[in-house]
Amino acid sequence: MIKTDVIIIGGGSTGCGVARDLALRGIPHCLIEKGDFAAGATGACHGLLHSGARYVVNDSEAAAECISENMIMRKIGVKCVEQTGGLFVRLPGDSKRFRDMFLKSCEQTGISAEVLSPSRALDLVHNLNPSLEEAIKVPDCSIDPFRLCMLNITSSQKRGGQILTHNRVIDIIKEHGRCVGVKVQEESTSEFKEIRGKIIINAAGAWGDNIASLAGSTVPMTLSKGSLIVTNHRLTNMVINRLRPSSDGDIIVPNEAVCLAGTTSITVTDPDENEVDPAEVDIIATQAQQLLPEFGTTRLIRTYAGVRPLLKADGGDDRKISRSFKIIDHKNGMFSIMGGKLTTYRLMAEKISDRVMEALGLKTRCRTAELPLEGQEELSGYPLSKRLKTMENIVCECELVTTDAVERVAGKIGTRRIGDIQHRTRLGMGPCQGGFCTYRALGIMQETGKMTPEESRRILREFLQRRFKGIKPALWGDQLREEQLIESIYLGILGMEQEQ
Amino acid sequence: MSGSYDVVIIGGGISGMMAAVALAEKGRKVAVISKGDPVCCFSTGCIDVLADGDDPLNGLGSLPDNHPYHLVGEDAVAKALELFRDIMSEEGMPYVGDVHVNRRVLTSLGRSKVTCLVPETMEFADFDPDEYIHVISFYKMKDFYPQYITSRYTNADYSIFDPGVITTAGIAEKFENRPFLEKFIFWLRDLDIPEGRIAVPAVLGRSLAGDVYHQVSAGCGRKIFEIPTMPPSMPGLRLFGGLKKALLRKGVNLYWGRGIYSVEKLGNRIEAVTLASAGRTTRVEGKAFILATGSFVSGGLQAFMDTVTETVFDLPTYLPGSRGTWFNDDFFAPGHEIEKAGIRVDSSFRPVETEIDNLHVCGSILAFSEVMKHRCGNGMAIATGVAAAQACGGLV
Ligand SMILES: Cc1cc2nc3c(=O)[nH]c(=O)nc-3n(C[C@H](O)[C@H](O)[C@H](O)COP(=O)(O)OP(=O)(O)OC[C@H]3O[C@@H](n4cnc5c(N)ncnc54)[C@H](O)[C@@H]3O)c2cc1C
Ligand SMILES: Cc1cc2nc3c(=O)[nH]c(=O)nc-3n(C[C@H](O)[C@H](O)[C@H](O)COP(=O)(O)OP(=O)(O)OC[C@H]3O[C@@H](n4cnc5c(N)ncnc54)[C@H](O)[C@@H]3O)c2cc1C
Repeated sequence: MIKTDVIIIGGGSTGCGVARDLALRGIPHCLIEKGDFAAGATGACHGLLHSGARYVVNDSEAAAECISENMIMRKIGVKCVEQTGGLFVRLPGDSKRFRDMFLKSCEQTGISAEVLSPSRALDLVHNLNPSLEEAIKVPDCSIDPFRLCMLNITSSQKRGGQILTHNRVIDIIKEHGRCVGVKVQEESTSEFKEIRGKIIINAAGAWGDNIASLAGSTVPMTLSKGSLIVTNHRLTNMVINRLRPSSDGDIIVPNEAVCLAGTTSITVTDPDENEVDPAEVDIIATQAQQLLPEFGTTRLIRTYAGVRPLLKADGGDDRKISRSFKIIDHKNGMFSIMGGKLTTYRLMAEKISDRVMEALGLKTRCRTAELPLEGQEELSGYPLSKRLKTMENIVCECELVTTDAVERVAGKIGTRRIGDIQHRTRLGMGPCQGGFCTYRALGIMQETGKMTPEESRRILREFLQRRFKGIKPALWGDQLREEQLIESIYLGILGMEQEQ
Repeated sequence: MSGSYDVVIIGGGISGMMAAVALAEKGRKVAVISKGDPVCCFSTGCIDVLADGDDPLNGLGSLPDNHPYHLVGEDAVAKALELFRDIMSEEGMPYVGDVHVNRRVLTSLGRSKVTCLVPETMEFADFDPDEYIHVISFYKMKDFYPQYITSRYTNADYSIFDPGVITTAGIAEKFENRPFLEKFIFWLRDLDIPEGRIAVPAVLGRSLAGDVYHQVSAGCGRKIFEIPTMPPSMPGLRLFGGLKKALLRKGVNLYWGRGIYSVEKLGNRIEAVTLASAGRTTRVEGKAFILATGSFVSGGLQAFMDTVTETVFDLPTYLPGSRGTWFNDDFFAPGHEIEKAGIRVDSSFRPVETEIDNLHVCGSILAFSEVMKHRCGNGMAIATGVAAAQACGGLV
């Protein structure tokens, strides 16, 4: 049994942010995550560190939170934030009235917005749709959600925070009507553990209501699925938005070597619903092509979907629901933190930690906005090309991951999961989507004795199946070609189909 | 350089190259135009004919009625494969096997691949699971992990040699260096490997496989065989290299590294094609044309969001259905629907629903070939290539 003060359920941006916040205030805590960090909405998000402009017209509260957090993150997270800047592009037919409201709201909220003529916009992003009416420049950034979670966790672990990934909360222990702990089950061994604490924080995102119900409570949420497409190269160095009320497929975000285009918004009932419908892909691709015509001929390497944990709204369009967040005190020792954005994760963590301090009767103040994220020294910064020089023995050609890096990570965290390696090294995140390098990484892992050859072959099979699921909805053009090559390699050369 | 030919072949894959060989042997003046290197370079170098059943040639009869093999016929398939073997022997890369017998080769994952004709370096790859197998691997080689094989056999072990490089191509290159080869053979002999067979990833030379292979086997006194690797695949590159050399020896003109820029038509005939190149244009004129540009991987076919097109002549293309039906949910299911896409042809390999008389089509671009489903890639390409050559040979 583990004993601690605060139990955090969920290792997305919110949970990881809370762990750092509590660590900096010296509060013992234990974070439990059923998968790896960023396994939920965090890892499936668009990677946009919002300037707030996207919400400024209809949701000024969320917009104000975004811009102030955006400014903080630029300072404390230099190695996981790329200061790309963003454009809101107005195309022929897009409402001029909305544009006027947009500019006015930006001014009121304090989001810098500079109007650019088509030619100035094209100077910045040469492949924009040349028929644009104008563009408005805002301080959007690109952010790496995996790194963000890892760095927040570093601060926690440095100060004795206990982190249990691949452990699922299956029950909440109550005594005299109060939550006093949780029961968890480890993913691969299926072993049970008990963790006792004074306060439980439910940061389980879209799964929040499931957790609350274990304690006999509920949290009112609307689940909204969004899908995204990954392109095989970096089409733009700036974030590109469509200047109109939020709609499907109107944002393109550069992310290291690739771009992410999205998204959609479909109400779902199951937080595990992450199928991408080919119809969503068609919509996103068509819309993205209007912003960047080159998108039409670009290779699309993967699709994925995540579920947004939004605050409950009364019917209507999910996009109209506020992106602000809410803390619920269940009055039984459990707090839930719901809604919000990746962009505002730090603020969310600060507010909930304040409540925890109050409940514990302590006064240490929050310092997460002043101190840089720890562990960034060890990370290489952007851009990718800088990393090239020091590298040999490359396993993953797309993202330049070395044999040594795979061995180091496998050894350090002692993992047997390929996902853990991927999140920590970016292995398989590039154009080939792990088609070549996963075979190698698994080969290396079984060679170091971390897993048996049988396990490694089984994991490879599962990986290829999962990878295919992500690629299938957008299979045409050059990606279809690549897919046929990969299929011929694993089936025609390696005989992988005989693997059960 | 511009030129005028009896037959112009577009696409330098195994199919187009076999068509060229067949025509050149009949004394025709032939040119091959190819945008890039073909798919057989990625392949294991083995010639799959049909994986189902023990006798691939006999099995052809049970394929669906619209499969291109039916247009060739069993006897002609056997003859085409015979021609292929003759050519490869002439180039010093003999193939072994029998068109009536499927055989197995060991894969890098320790599985077995069913195929028909194999390069001599894989002659002993079909072994009795009780026999002792010793796998040789190379220190930190990126694409080969011997444990994948030894873990699957009770009677197997491995040893690791350090060649100083880690890529398949890098190691293969080293094997063409005499002192390196001797050092390796010395090391191998010193291992004192028990009676049985020796398996090595396919790195025994980039092009000189025969020499290297014979020296290594003589040196260690054991039956030795190569295991095909992921691309870059040395046996695939050797196959391509061998065919290309044969073409050059038979006087075929090669236009390599360039795609088609434009097509000149007159009435029902294609007169010439112009090649895409920087600066001056090259015009290649022919009495007959053969289209062998391959399937999606080589770019003979191109898929869009909801259609598939043929990229040189914009021929009518068979499409198995809407995009939602192109792929199964299971990645490993044998043959996705999209494999049926391609060009439908008549009995003389001429595209249907077109007015053009002097164009023939062969290889994996043909509709209903379903190469992965039936495992008939190189075999079908060879058979249809030679058959298309015969069909147009009569015309010129
Ligand atoms: C498609 C899409 C695009 C988005 N784009 C952006 C964007 O560009 N910018 C932005 O700021 N925001 C974006 N968002 C919103 C943002 O991703 C989320 O608001 C934020 O990541 C939520 O973080 P979280 O930690 O609260 O939830 P999650 O990341 O979902 O974390 C919850 C975690 O709890 C874990 N968990 C669940 N049940 C259990 C259990 N029983 N035991 C243990 N662990 C459990 C889950 O595995 C999960 O990791 C996007 C969302 C989506 C869906
Ligand atoms: C990874 C992999 C492994 C395989 N392994 C095996 C195996 O072990 N055994 C087996 O029997 N089969 C195997 N196959 C299948 C087999 O190799 C192919 O089916 C066969 O080689 C196809 O030959 P082809 O001549 O039809 O076309 P391709 O080899 O595709 O050749 C087409 C050529 O046309 C050129 N071209 C395309 N467009 C143009 C243009 N516009 N202008 C000019 N030139 C153009 C291309 O550059 C290319 O060189 C494998 C396939 C793959 C992908």
